[in-house]
Amino acid sequence: MWMGMKFTLPTRFVSPLGFLGMLTFITFIILGITGALLMLWYEPILDRAWDSVEHINDVIPYGFHMRNVHYHASNAMVMLALLHMYYQYFSGRYKIRNEILWVTGIILGVLTILEAFTGYDIIFSERAELAISIAASLTNSIPILGPQMRDAFFGAGFHDFVLRFYAFHVFLLPIAMLGLMVVHFPRFLVFDVPMVMAITGAIMLTGGVFPVEMGLKFDPNVPPGITVPEWYLTGLYAFLRTQYDKFVTGVAWPGLFIFTLLIIPFIDRYKKFSWKDRPIITAIGITSLAQIIVTTYWGFYIDPDTTKSLLERLVIDPIFFYLVMVLLVPLSFGFTYMMIKLAKNAEANAKLQPRKPVGKTSINLPEKWIYIVFIALLAFQVYLNIAAYYAVLAGMKNYSLFIIGIIMLVFAGMFHLFRYGRAMAKSAPPRIITAPPKITQPAISPPSAAPPLTAPSKDEKPLATPAAEKSSGTSAAQRQASSQGTKSAPAITKSNDARISTSPSTGSNLSEPRASENNKYQK
Amino acid sequence: MAAQQRPSRAGRRISRRDFLKLMAAAGTVITFTPFIDWGKFLPNPQGSVSERSKVELPNGSQANVKTFQVNHSEAVVYPKSDDPTLNEEAFRIWQFIRLPEELGGAKNDATAFRMYSQVCLHLWCLWKYWPEPGRKRGECPCHGSMYDPLTGKAFAGPAALQSPPSNVLPSLDLEVDNNGNIWIKPPNWSVDGNGIVGFGRFLKA
Repeated sequence: MWMGMKFTLPTRFVSPLGFLGMLTFITFIILGITGALLMLWYEPILDRAWDSVEHINDVIPYGFHMRNVHYHASNAMVMLALLHMYYQYFSGRYKIRNEILWVTGIILGVLTILEAFTGYDIIFSERAELAISIAASLTNSIPILGPQMRDAFFGAGFHDFVLRFYAFHVFLLPIAMLGLMVVHFPRFLVFDVPMVMAITGAIMLTGGVFPVEMGLKFDPNVPPGITVPEWYLTGLYAFLRTQYDKFVTGVAWPGLFIFTLLIIPFIDRYKKFSWKDRPIITAIGITSLAQIIVTTYWGFYIDPDTTKSLLERLVIDPIFFYLVMVLLVPLSFGFTYMMIKLAKNAEANAKLQPRKPVGKTSINLPEKWIYIVFIALLAFQVYLNIAAYYAVLAGMKNYSLFIIGIIMLVFAGMFHLFRYGRAMAKSAPPRIITAPPKITQPAISPPSAAPPLTAPSKDEKPLATPAAEKSSGTSAAQRQASSQGTKSAPAITKSNDARISTSPSTGSNLSEPRASENNKYQK
Repeated sequence: MAAQQRPSRAGRRISRRDFLKLMAAAGTVITFTPFIDWGKFLPNPQGSVSERSKVELPNGSQANVKTFQVNHSEAVVYPKSDDPTLNEEAFRIWQFIRLPEELGGAKNDATAFRMYSQVCLHLWCLWKYWPEPGRKRGECPCHGSMYDPLTGKAFAGPAALQSPPSNVLPSLDLEVDNNGNIWIKPPNWSVDGNGIVGFGRFLKA
C-alpha cells in the first residue's frame, strides 16, 4: 500500500490544498530544528525556566529569532494540521482504504496540540502555570484512573511539572509523532519549494509583526492577570469557564469530539466523494466548524467591565452557553443544506450554458521580462539583506525577523519564476506540451481500466440537479459531454477532465480517489 | 491426542495446538508481570515520609504550644528538602494555624492547631490565614476563594464551587509531645487520607 509512494517536485503551480499535510510536516521540521537549538539554552528547572527563556530572548544573539520562529511555527503547524484535516474531510478522501491514514492523522493532530501545549507551558510564566494547573486538574478529574495518571504523568509539584513537560515536549511526544508519521505517510508527497518557502516566510513575518511575549514570571504570591490559553485551546477553555463539572466540560466533551472524528470515515456510507454529494457528512463538518469557531471566540472573550469582580467577568453562564451551542446545530445544519442546494443549482445552470474555457488566466511573461523581473528581485533581495543586517545591528530584532520573512517570500517568488521560465524554455511556442509528464504517471488505474465493480454509476460527477435530470436527463448529459469534448480538443492540458468525460459510464467508485488525486496536480 | 479422544461430557476438549497457544500466552503474561510494578518509577515518591517530623517555623525553631500565639499562622515547609529551590516550591508550603479562641485555639493540645496546604484548590495561588476580627479565615489573593480554618473547606469563591474532593484543603495530622513541641505525623497522600496537594481531600463526616 505504501510502496507506491511518489515524491514529486511540481514543475508548475499546484494548489497547496492537496499537500497541506506535507506543509505541516515541513513546519514540524522547522520546529525540530529551532527547538533543538533552543534546547542549548533553555533550563527546565523550577526557578530558572522563565529566566533562561528571557536570557534566550534578550541576550543570546538570534535567540529572539529562534524563539519567535519556534513559537509561530507551532501555531502554523496546528493551523495547517486543522486545515489539512478539514480539506481531507470535505473532499472525502478519508474513506475507502484511507481510514488508517485518517485515524493516525487524528491521533497526530491531538499529539500536535499536546506538543504545542507542553511547549508554551515550559516557559513557566503565569499563564503557563494556570495552564498546567488546569491540565493537571482535568487529568485528576478522570474517574478511577485519574489520580494515578496525574501522579504518573505530572509528578508532584511545580518542579516535576516543568521537568516532565519538558521531557514530553522535546522527546516523548515528538518521537510518538514521528512513529505515527511513518504510518501516516500518504502515497503522494509533493515538495513544492515556493510554497514551503512562502510558509516559512509567513511564519517569520508574523513573528516580526507579533513577537511572542515573555509573560510574567510565575510567583504563587502574586495574583495572575487575566490570561487566555493559545487559540487552539480557547474552545476548551470556554467550556471550562462555565464552571460546570471539570470532567464533563474538560475531558468528556473534547473526548467525544475526537472520538467522533476518529469514527467518521466508518460512519460515512456515501458512495460519492465530493462534499456536494454527501450532504449529511458535509453538514456535520460545517456544524463542527461553527462550534469550534464560536467556542474559540467565546473562550477569548472576557467582559471588559473592570468594575465587576474577576469571577463574574470570567464565568460563562452555562445555560446561555449550552443553549447557543445547541441552537447552533440546526442553524449550521440548515445553512449547509441550503448552500449545497444553491451550489448544485448554480452548477446545473452553469452546465446548461456552454462552458467558457475557465482555465489559465495566467500572465504570459515574455522571456525578456522574466530576466528583468529576476534581476529586479535579486536587487530587492540584496537590499533586504542589507536592511536585515542593519536591523540586527540596531537591535531591532523583530524588524530584522520581519525582513527575513520577506526575503523568504521573495525567494518563493523567484523560485516560481525560475520554474515558470524553465517550463517555457522547455516547451517552445505551442503551449500544448506544457502538460507535465506526471499526467501519465498517476494513471496507474485509469478509470477506464477499472472494471465496473458495482452497477455503473450514472455519472462520475453527478453535478446535474434533480430538476435538470427530471426534465432532460440524457440530453443534458449529452450536452455536457459534447461541450467538454469540444473544449478538450484545443487544450490537452485539461486531459483529466477529458478522460472523465470520454468515459462517463465506466468509471467505478473505487477509481474515483485516484482521479481526484490526479486532479490535485492538474489544478 | 486430544483430537483422537471422543467428545467428553463437558462438550469440547482443548486441542493440542490451542493448549500450546495458551501456554505461550501465559508465559508472555508471566514474563511481563513484574514490569507492571515498574510503573512506580513515574510518580514522585517525595511524600513518603515514614517518621514524624518537626513543625519547623520560618525562624528555624520548632513550633511549641506554649509559645505559638492564638489566632496566628506561619508558613511551614513540608517535607523539607536540602535543596533551597525545592523548598520554595508552592506544593511544599503549608499554613500552620493556631485557631482563634472561639474555635478552640486556647487549648494546649493538637486540636488547637491546623496545618493546611497553602496551595489554593482553584488555580494554585498561595492563600493565607487572615487573623483580623471579622475575617479569621483563609483567603486566596488570586480569585478570592475563602477557607474555613476549622475544617479547611472552601466556603466562598471559585474553590467553593468545585465538587468534592476539590473543595477541601489537604491537611496534615499533628501531635504534641510532653515538652509541648508539635510534630507532623507521617502523611497518607490520598483524597481519603490527608488529601492531595492542589487537588483536595474528602471531608470526613
